[in-house]
Amino acid sequence: MADSADRYDRRAFLARGASTAAAMGLAGVGVPALLSACGTSTTTRSHGSTPGVGTGTPRRGGSVTVGLNSEIDGFLPASSHFDNSGITYANTVFDSLTRVGADGTAKPYLAKAVTPNADMTAWTITLRPDVSFHDGSAFTADVLVANIEALRHSLLTSQALAPVSGVTATGDLEVTISLDEPLVAFPHYLATQIGYPVAMAQLTTTNTTHPIGTGPFMYESWEPNDHFTAVRNPNYWRHGLPYLDGITYKPIPQDQSRESSLRSGTVDLMVTRDPHVIRDLGHATGYQQIADLNQAHGQTDMDFIILNCAADPTNDLMVRQALAHAMDTEQIVKLFGAGVTQQNTSLFPPGSPYRPAHNGYPAYDLNKAKQLVAQAAPNHGGSITITLDTVTDPRLLEIIQAIANMWSLAGVHVTVGQVEQVTFIDNLVTSKFMAYTDEQFSASDPDLNYVWMSPTTANPPISLNFSRNKDPLLEAALQRGRTSADPAVRAAAYQTVDERLAADLPYLWFSRATWSLTGTTAVANFNNMTLPDGSLDRGFASGVFTPTSTWRTA
Amino acid sequence: MIRYVGTRLLQLVVICFLISVAAFLLVHLLPGDPTLAILGPNDTPSARATLLKQLGLNHSLVVQYWTWVKNIFHGNLGVSFLTKQTVSNALSVAVPIDLELVIVSQVIALVVAVPLALVAALRPNKAFDRVATTTTFGFLSLPTFVAGPLLVLLFAVELHAVPATGFVRLSQSFGSNLKSVILPSVTLAIGSIAVYYRLLRADLISTLQEDFVTMARAKGLSTPYIMLRHVLRPSSFSLLAGAGISIGTLFTGAFVVEVLFQLPGIGYQLVQAIYARDYLVVQGMALVAAVAFVVVNFGVDFLLTLLDPRVRRG
Amino acid sequence: MVAADAGTESVLAIEAIPGATGAAPSRRTGLGALFWVCAGWVALMALLAILAGVLPLKAPNFQDYSAVNVGPSVHHLLGTDDLGRDLLARIIYGSRVSLVIGFAPVAIGLAVGGSLGLLAGYRGGVADSLLNALSFVILAFPALLAIMVIERFWQPISLLKLIVLFAIVAAPQLFRVMRATTLSYAGREFVVAARATGATTRRILLRELLPNTLPAAASFALIGVAIAIVLEGALAFLGLSVSLPTSSLGNIINAGVNNDNLTLNPYIALWPSLYIFLLLTALNLMADRLRSYFDIREVKL
Repeated sequence: MADSADRYDRRAFLARGASTAAAMGLAGVGVPALLSACGTSTTTRSHGSTPGVGTGTPRRGGSVTVGLNSEIDGFLPASSHFDNSGITYANTVFDSLTRVGADGTAKPYLAKAVTPNADMTAWTITLRPDVSFHDGSAFTADVLVANIEALRHSLLTSQALAPVSGVTATGDLEVTISLDEPLVAFPHYLATQIGYPVAMAQLTTTNTTHPIGTGPFMYESWEPNDHFTAVRNPNYWRHGLPYLDGITYKPIPQDQSRESSLRSGTVDLMVTRDPHVIRDLGHATGYQQIADLNQAHGQTDMDFIILNCAADPTNDLMVRQALAHAMDTEQIVKLFGAGVTQQNTSLFPPGSPYRPAHNGYPAYDLNKAKQLVAQAAPNHGGSITITLDTVTDPRLLEIIQAIANMWSLAGVHVTVGQVEQVTFIDNLVTSKFMAYTDEQFSASDPDLNYVWMSPTTANPPISLNFSRNKDPLLEAALQRGRTSADPAVRAAAYQTVDERLAADLPYLWFSRATWSLTGTTAVANFNNMTLPDGSLDRGFASGVFTPTSTWRTA
Repeated sequence: MIRYVGTRLLQLVVICFLISVAAFLLVHLLPGDPTLAILGPNDTPSARATLLKQLGLNHSLVVQYWTWVKNIFHGNLGVSFLTKQTVSNALSVAVPIDLELVIVSQVIALVVAVPLALVAALRPNKAFDRVATTTTFGFLSLPTFVAGPLLVLLFAVELHAVPATGFVRLSQSFGSNLKSVILPSVTLAIGSIAVYYRLLRADLISTLQEDFVTMARAKGLSTPYIMLRHVLRPSSFSLLAGAGISIGTLFTGAFVVEVLFQLPGIGYQLVQAIYARDYLVVQGMALVAAVAFVVVNFGVDFLLTLLDPRVRRG
Repeated sequence: MVAADAGTESVLAIEAIPGATGAAPSRRTGLGALFWVCAGWVALMALLAILAGVLPLKAPNFQDYSAVNVGPSVHHLLGTDDLGRDLLARIIYGSRVSLVIGFAPVAIGLAVGGSLGLLAGYRGGVADSLLNALSFVILAFPALLAIMVIERFWQPISLLKLIVLFAIVAAPQLFRVMRATTLSYAGREFVVAARATGATTRRILLRELLPNTLPAAASFALIGVAIAIVLEGALAFLGLSVSLPTSSLGNIINAGVNNDNLTLNPYIALWPSLYIFLLLTALNLMADRLRSYFDIREVKL
């Protein structure tokens, strides 16, 4: 399956060492809880044969229906929000320039090569010959340039591409992107929303309802909130793929309805992050389940409380420490984790080189919390009052009731509430909140999250650094990780990041989100894709599914 | 008669106008605007201003309203800010779903309620009547968001008899279509059964005391015959009227069922549009739903005047 | 949902006809044992709700993590929920909210809408047409949309605000119901006769029309109570009901259905549903009995 002569530039790769490359300051796009494609390799649960890995000869033909957890608003990367469902759709009808491999590095995929110059301020993307879009038009350098220019000018993604100073076609199949500053993790950015090129026909008409990409499947029909159907691309540049004749996606936001759909046979595959559903299906027979539990690359989706460091009383470090000490994270996971969710008080997963041995995050200590509250209260009018809100999600609603209870045991006055999603995001961006639940930070490389936590972006009136933390030590560490190619320096830098976050406490971690992909026995090999260079793709992670090498068993 | 129809039509127009204004105002009064949903965290003031201009939202409310109304008369209900699909398109998806849900659920409700009421009315306040009344009242206190999941658990998950979610269009397959609406329809029917049973039973009991019934009995006609041929029709009055209101409000009232069963009907799309401040979708759907209610009830009122001239129409 | 059982003028005209609701008047035999059992149950529920503060109940919001999802036991008579809170306490405190949200809007609707309907039905004229049209507009407008929008504005959502919202929805329905019954009675002999003997409008309304029209309207009001209590639960489903951790029967049921609680701990959803069912059945049986008891349609001269 390995295509010839499309290796990542080996010399450059070896010179810089494994798993890192010079980072680039491209921001992730999209709403906070739903970040771009992220890097976590998956571990499969054993039920005899490995779930998601097919055996024997691949069977051609047939169609698969997949239940997704959300619907998207369109198929144009420059103007649509790509949450995990969005990237799943993108992997179906488009291809990304790079993809993250099982070893955590970003490897060229649609692009043949992605090479930096000496100081990482310019990246050259070499395209493959003879790749065409679904409408027959060729994927040339001009098309890629047009795509990137569209992203640079779109209201939605222009902030993300701010560090790009120029894009030019330096050959028929070669594009060079120049940057304001050196960025080591550039290839990882090309595996996110901004790395999926679309055909000129779709680009020039800014059509968001009819995607024309290079991907393994071609658009057939889309009825929002009902289904999206795509059919096999007979001229796919990865010869021999895909195996399926067609694929249909059904967005079913209600977790229990989605689970019922899988169990009743309405869908063949299902994505979820609900721990109860994951546990139920894990115990049931006749299903293959993949959950991204053990991974050590990049950052994982974290569940946490985000505090506003610019508003009273959460602008007081003592108050934040009190809240952290009062939160019994083990209990929270016990109550709501269904035995599936893992407690985690670090930005990085266990086994990650970026995770320090002890990051200093405050341990659960109710007495300490009470002391701190008593100490801090006089500075805030005699009592500490916090409003803790979440979106209309029954699971989060229960969680904040527990957290509010824990905080009140320490002497804090807490009111809980629910806010609709749109207002929720607006309040985060404009700093009109005090304590919100949040789910964020999954990324194949830590630098992808730079813009969400860098103090340089914490400026009014709007900011992507929602918590408004302004820790200069944090910024210094983020910069070191961003610009240094030396893996040891990077590891130390991000360990410092983790320690600084644990000291400054803009985020009160409690657990890692666990995503799962479950399929019936009718579907095979849905998590076993090889990349053009022969290595294994990272596979399902953070709710993103790629259908390319899936086949049906019957 | 002409005068009656004329007055009603005039009332219809006035009410629709008022509803259109109400729908427009209400959604525009919500804090925030579509730029939040479209841009998310990238909602910088300049981006917002540009987008508002693109969407035509930088004009005064009066101008926006007038543009909307004018377009309606040209058959153009507008476009969703979020998905870029036309509102008419969204309605063409939503309306068949709700129509079918309403029809199937009300048929089920009638099929259950009518025989029950017929039997109960023969012996009021006796055992059967008591049990039936209590059971149907129990249905009334069972919320749809409890009944729905229970039904799904039994029929979709355990028995694999029907799909758990999703709507299959009638044009695709009659069998699959029926299977996809049966559970949500039953869930909706549960509440209606109680209401119809109560209304019909009351009417039946009163009709049974009329002289012509005694006469029919004296003539030796059998009870089933009397009930079905002579008693049922004149007693359908309030049932019909109740059905009118029921059906009229189901178009938006089925929201909970639509979410549970993933049926993108009017209620479902309306709520999503409200959350995204998708003004034109909200306005269009609210207007259509309200017009449906008014038309259905005017129709029912009209039928009732035909059936019983005693009842004066205001 | 809300207007599902409002009924129209015609319905009321029928229900107001003598004997329409059951057996012949049985004044002589008293209200019956079943009636008093039901009345006792309703009174007990009301008493529990009112006295909740002084009863020896566990704190409804106290989360005991060592007693999560415990079934009915000595310490927790109805068990606990998924946060370790005592269900008996939560239900009794929750019944306060639900009883109020069930009865208050309907009572207000009856008072405001009902009296307007009585007046409009009797007097007719321009005011009647206007009120009628207004009631139609309110009824036709998707209640869900209106509630969602108004609540966005009116944060934080409190019981009082919910009562007002529900009353706005209930009043037009009760208006139409009263108006319809009044219409069907206004032309009757006893009313004409009363007018002929020089009775004032006020007297006619209070002495002749009200006693005849009220029972029918009250019957619909009862169904309205049922719908209101359950509707509050549906709003909780959307996150539009009273703010947590205040419990209402609706949001307890809602919590009992989510987060896999239906399988983990069905008691959470079961007890409040049973409460609603028993209460409404009792009220229904009482109302029916009262109607057949007070079935006075005699001509008053």
